Amino acid sequence: MEPLILLGEGIVRATTPELLLATLIGVLVGLVVGVLPGIGPAAGTAIMLPVAVGFGGAAAIAGLAGIYYGAMFGGAVTSILLGIPGDAPSVMTVIDGHAMAKRGEAGRALGMSVYASFIGGVIGIVLLALLSVPVAQAALAFGPTEMTALMCFALSLVTVLGGRNIIKGFTALFLGMWVGMIGLDPIAGPTRYTFGFVALFEGIEFTVIAVGLYGLSEIFVSLGQETTGKLERYSFRSLLPNLRDLVECKAVLVWSSLVSFFVGVVPGVGSTASTMLAYATAKKYSKNPDEFGRGSIKGVAAPEAANNSASYAAMIPLFALGIPGSGTTAVLLGGLLMVGLQPGPLLFATNPDFVWTVFGSFWIGNMMLVVLTTLLIPVLAGIVFISTAFLYPIVIGLVLLGVYSIHYAMSDVTIALIAGAIGFVMLKLDYSPVPLVLGLVLGPLLERGVRRTLIVSEGNLSIFWESPIALGFFLLTLGVILIPIAMKRVAAFRALPPSL
Amino acid sequence: MRASKTLVLLLALTASACGGGNATEESGAYPLKDVTMIVPFGAGGGSDVLSRTIANVIRELKILPVSLLVENRPGSSGAIGYTYVAKQKGNPYTLATVSVSFFTTPLLGASEFNFRNFTPVAAIAMSPYIMAVREASPYKTFDDVKKVRRLTTGTVGVVSDPVLLARMLQNASGITIDTVPFDGEGEVMTAALGGHIDFMLGNPGEILPQIEAGTLRPLAVSTAGRLLSLPAVPSFKELGYPIEHVQLRGVVMPPDMPQEALTFWESALRRVAESPEWKREYLDRFRDEPRFLGSVEFGKVLESTNTLYTEIMSELGLIKR
Repeated sequence: MEPLILLGEGIVRATTPELLLATLIGVLVGLVVGVLPGIGPAAGTAIMLPVAVGFGGAAAIAGLAGIYYGAMFGGAVTSILLGIPGDAPSVMTVIDGHAMAKRGEAGRALGMSVYASFIGGVIGIVLLALLSVPVAQAALAFGPTEMTALMCFALSLVTVLGGRNIIKGFTALFLGMWVGMIGLDPIAGPTRYTFGFVALFEGIEFTVIAVGLYGLSEIFVSLGQETTGKLERYSFRSLLPNLRDLVECKAVLVWSSLVSFFVGVVPGVGSTASTMLAYATAKKYSKNPDEFGRGSIKGVAAPEAANNSASYAAMIPLFALGIPGSGTTAVLLGGLLMVGLQPGPLLFATNPDFVWTVFGSFWIGNMMLVVLTTLLIPVLAGIVFISTAFLYPIVIGLVLLGVYSIHYAMSDVTIALIAGAIGFVMLKLDYSPVPLVLGLVLGPLLERGVRRTLIVSEGNLSIFWESPIALGFFLLTLGVILIPIAMKRVAAFRALPPSL
Repeated sequence: MRASKTLVLLLALTASACGGGNATEESGAYPLKDVTMIVPFGAGGGSDVLSRTIANVIRELKILPVSLLVENRPGSSGAIGYTYVAKQKGNPYTLATVSVSFFTTPLLGASEFNFRNFTPVAAIAMSPYIMAVREASPYKTFDDVKKVRRLTTGTVGVVSDPVLLARMLQNASGITIDTVPFDGEGEVMTAALGGHIDFMLGNPGEILPQIEAGTLRPLAVSTAGRLLSLPAVPSFKELGYPIEHVQLRGVVMPPDMPQEALTFWESALRRVAESPEWKREYLDRFRDEPRFLGSVEFGKVLESTNTLYTEIMSELGLIKR
């Protein structure tokens, strides 16, 4: 229990006016960064780095980290209201969140995203305090081989997300994996599928695809719909969150927070992959998996709890080992150096006050975010009252500006528009865009894992079952695929009429 | 008609005003307006921190009568930012720092401007590479390494200084060294600490904290002599291998630079490199070694570094001949 006492002391130290202000600024910027499509937490922290360093010491890192987890709260807003993911970790929130909003339950979905973010955050912070050191050591056991096995397991789970038609699901999955291969080959070096365009050398930014595929396609579809002239009516009740949902989703919330925390610790996996796993497991083990994708409240709870929990998990390698596991934590590492601290395995030992104060600020920041976002829900949900004739042009402008601002490149805008067109065709042909983004995120991780492993083993495949962790994940993968098939067979056998 | 005449008059006035401005600029002392340092990468990275620290120290030392502004122009592995600088022919108000991509992006054919399209100004710090293994590794000293047939190491991206050094070590020692490309420094460190690769090559900034914590053990350094921070660790040269390669933190300007501006910046950066502020804010923080090279010497290093990268990338089949 000692870490919890230290966390408590850290919370107390984090209540100085200076730290409170830095945390508040951080979470506010994070909310904005999360809401704006295109700019994600990595870019947000990078932009604010020079400003935050001016705060000095723990305040600088409290502010920067605030942007990171603040973005996890903010990302849900546009995902739910407009169907446009504000940043990569909120892509999975679009599926059910936007379906709910279209049904007139925007406030309820937003409310759940706030509760889920908060609960994911609290669980994440407590686990961060309790388990930083042992979990960090365990994360080191994840080399390329173990990563390959983890990704196989993840992909086996996501087969449940492929929609009703398996062939269409796999087609979209492979399309996503192919798009993930565009650019410089990460292992051997030459370019793949760039067709000579220099703009494609570095590959396609995930956010650009996600924004186009989900957001723009939706707007394109609406262009083809005839307006009825009838005004849509939403009750004001729909603007308010519903506390009863919290009780209904409690198991999903806790489970998603735990899963994504342990997955999020592994350097290189990231919070986006964690949300996918959380959503997939929530659906797989739900009593009515069919409600997922059609506006299930649990479909909002799972990814939102997951991305918050994972954002704290991602900080473990940074604080306990001095290793940046993601783009955002790499910026935080730069921040630590710039305020004069030496990140590394000794940070906990040499600067315990600093570390626990920063962790304390996470707790306070999480509280601030709940209050801020709860107050904002009715205002934000009011967007549904705006006529699409006014709303969509503004949204298209904002989205394209956001996409442009990632690299200041018109080529990204073009790619987003093409992705929008592809998304439009997919919607018309009843292909789910979900497997495509899964392939785009998990495909490159799997490919890199396999190729790195084979370099290490000089092409010897036995390395895959010599690692106990990898073997464990491969067996789980087989279980996930085979058990439902076996159960169907058994069920079919029992259903046979006795006369046969 | 009247309006257009007024417009012509206005344009003429503006033109003459501009011309007048140029006249004073030519006769007055350099610099007359704010200088911009272009960072061809995003905020928060190594190049960004280097540029911002240079700007800070210059401000603290009051070297410039004007401001030094840092501007990020990221994208296409540095091609966008470096292309912007290379196109500012003779403009003495633009600077940029050198990075690995400065050489490799044009060699890959992703940028038409290579190191010859820039004016070398100065190098103001040096970052060596340390070869290190994890604490549990069977290799206690470099002698233990000599006996093995094959080793694995990690790199960020396909072409990097660790790849270069691994190749040099392989050629010199006869040990097969396979390099596994990762996506970030954190992943390489994870692989080294977890024992998934045999050793890693890294800058002091990332390696020294691990050595101090007892999680990594140094075997050799890539400088000609020993490092001040690791006096007990031999250099590759001492061990009998002709390997010397370090990363220079240097500054370049656009091509066709007027001598006046070049001299100004060369001496300004010398003052930076020799100041206690630079030692405190950069060298001590990132554990780099002090080093100053003027324009001519730095130009020679750029040339030889480019030759090294060209060789290694041809060997890897990344340059089409």
